[in-house]
Amino acid sequence: MSASTTSHRLYKALFITLLLGFALVYLGPLYVMLTTSFKGIEEIRNGNILALPDTLDTSAWSKAWTSACTGGDCYGLAPYFWNSIRIVLPAVFISTVIGALNGYVLSQWRFKGSNFIFGALLFGCFIPFQVILLPMAMLLAWLGLANTVSGLVLVHVIYGVAFTTLFFRNYYVGIPSELVRAARLDGAGFFATFRHVFLPLSTPIIVVSIIWQFTQIWNDFLFGVVYSGPGTQPITVALNNLVNTTMGGKEYNVDMAAAVIAALPTLVVYLVAGKYFVRGLTAGAVKG
Amino acid sequence: MGSIKIQQLTKSFGDIEVLKGIDLDIKDGEFLILVGPSGCGKSTLMNSIAGLEDVSSGDILIDGNNVTDLSPKERDIAMVFQSYALYPTMTVSRNISFGLEMRKVPKAEIEKTVADVSQLLQIEHLLDRKPSALSGGQRQRVAMGRALARNPRVFLFDEPLSNLDAKLRVEMRTEIKKLHKRLGTTIVYVTHDQVEAMTLADRIAVMKDGQVQQLGTPYEIYNNPSNRFVADFMGSPPMNFIECVVLDDKLVIESQGEKFELHVPNGKSLQQAGVDTVILGIRPEMITEPKPHVAGALVHSIPMQVDVTEPMGPDTIAFGQWNGTEIQARLSPEAGVDAQEKGRIKVQVDTSKVVLFDAFSGARLDA
Repeated sequence: MSASTTSHRLYKALFITLLLGFALVYLGPLYVMLTTSFKGIEEIRNGNILALPDTLDTSAWSKAWTSACTGGDCYGLAPYFWNSIRIVLPAVFISTVIGALNGYVLSQWRFKGSNFIFGALLFGCFIPFQVILLPMAMLLAWLGLANTVSGLVLVHVIYGVAFTTLFFRNYYVGIPSELVRAARLDGAGFFATFRHVFLPLSTPIIVVSIIWQFTQIWNDFLFGVVYSGPGTQPITVALNNLVNTTMGGKEYNVDMAAAVIAALPTLVVYLVAGKYFVRGLTAGAVKG
Repeated sequence: MGSIKIQQLTKSFGDIEVLKGIDLDIKDGEFLILVGPSGCGKSTLMNSIAGLEDVSSGDILIDGNNVTDLSPKERDIAMVFQSYALYPTMTVSRNISFGLEMRKVPKAEIEKTVADVSQLLQIEHLLDRKPSALSGGQRQRVAMGRALARNPRVFLFDEPLSNLDAKLRVEMRTEIKKLHKRLGTTIVYVTHDQVEAMTLADRIAVMKDGQVQQLGTPYEIYNNPSNRFVADFMGSPPMNFIECVVLDDKLVIESQGEKFELHVPNGKSLQQAGVDTVILGIRPEMITEPKPHVAGALVHSIPMQVDVTEPMGPDTIAFGQWNGTEIQARLSPEAGVDAQEKGRIKVQVDTSKVVLFDAFSGARLDA
């Protein structure tokens, strides 16, 4: 009895140590980023990379936001941050709405061939970005959307719908079909049933869809660099340009501050809605 | 008003024919029960009436109007589902009013209906709750309330009591019957529980393999089954089926190596038809302990080796063997104790209500 509890404790200690180790590996770089961003350039050159800053110097942050050079222009990240917002918000909204409707149809209003369509949509989850670069560029040009925010929104919506459909379909498949039947007998049509019965049930999966899509689109670099024009580049592309543009010496503190700024929105979304994320992902599997 | 006429209704899923030409005439105000084992097509038939399922051929008429191609909404039908299918995010009150809301009934009228219905079903105190905060019986009531609020021409009940515990089921059963008496609206009710069917129905349609085997009052179905399937399905404990050799106009029963002759009604016609063997169908309650005041040509006394007894309370079921077939006799509790102790008893067999079936087809021979 006591032997088994001792070994049990040992395992637990080992387990926790291991987890702490992993956490350290993940948090280490973040620590370095944050401390470096608050240091002056002299301190970075002369000091230890792991040391805390002597004084809190926020000049790197304001420079990264307003005046750092990204290629030829020196307006900081701010304009590109707003570009990203202008791309992300509509793309997330539209792909979530379409995904919800798709999932609703594919789970509750099955028709001949609906399984095939669902399979084909799933296939979209596995197509690598690189494969469609050229045809998509041609499509955007043909639509007159090349180098525009709308074009990027379109690309992200198309790519996102595969995932959002999967989320919503798997969530709605767990809702008994008798609800739809009851609503039909009550006189509710396709959209009324969706609005009054399904939508109020969907909060967890909507949150999942928003977090997923927001993270994907905000962090996207490839589409951003390929399909954007000079005035429509998203923040990821600007960050890349900022880091690669050197005037004189390399300003690590500005680079780090810029990287944190670029990562901040996804972090905020996670912190605000994260608890729904896990709940929503498992909601279909474990029915309460 | 709400009469339903179903004519030559068929339904196939791919190659599988689920309904094979159903004809049913349901009168206005009637309580009709569709009963049968799972997979017999009773739920499909009900969904077809509701309009939730397209039919392959045939017609459904409600009050003389052909509704076969109408949507559920246009049929003016309300349904109570097995799982209740209450809208989980709506309060009880909104669950009840949703159908009226969708039909654009004026607000004041909706409020009045919700009040009336909730009073009728005694769920006034639950109106602001969500379905998840209700017990099974309360959900059942709300589901009925939702159907009642619409005041439809026909109610459909799809095994509404099967998710309740035994005691509540009996209570709700009585309540549904009272409700029907009070409202007088046509009800079509699906169940696989033959007790529910017997107790509730004005008429019962016994279904098997997509066909109606018999349509009749509970009395007719129980006492005058049209074939062996119906006889076997209705009644608990089930009817005894004993294969017997026909000797002149009598049937031979063998118990413990001894042979006994049973007089049966219509024995003469059996003899004339020249049948050698028949299946004797006799309900357990016709095999009892000897009752001195019962006598006549159709009352016999036959010994029975009792293997097991099952006390039910009001009576005791005794299991024995005649003609190599297990049979069940329904004894009084006292006779049951006696049988348990002695192991071998004499039972009284009353053949006045027996039914005879063809040994091969299971069809009725004496009807």
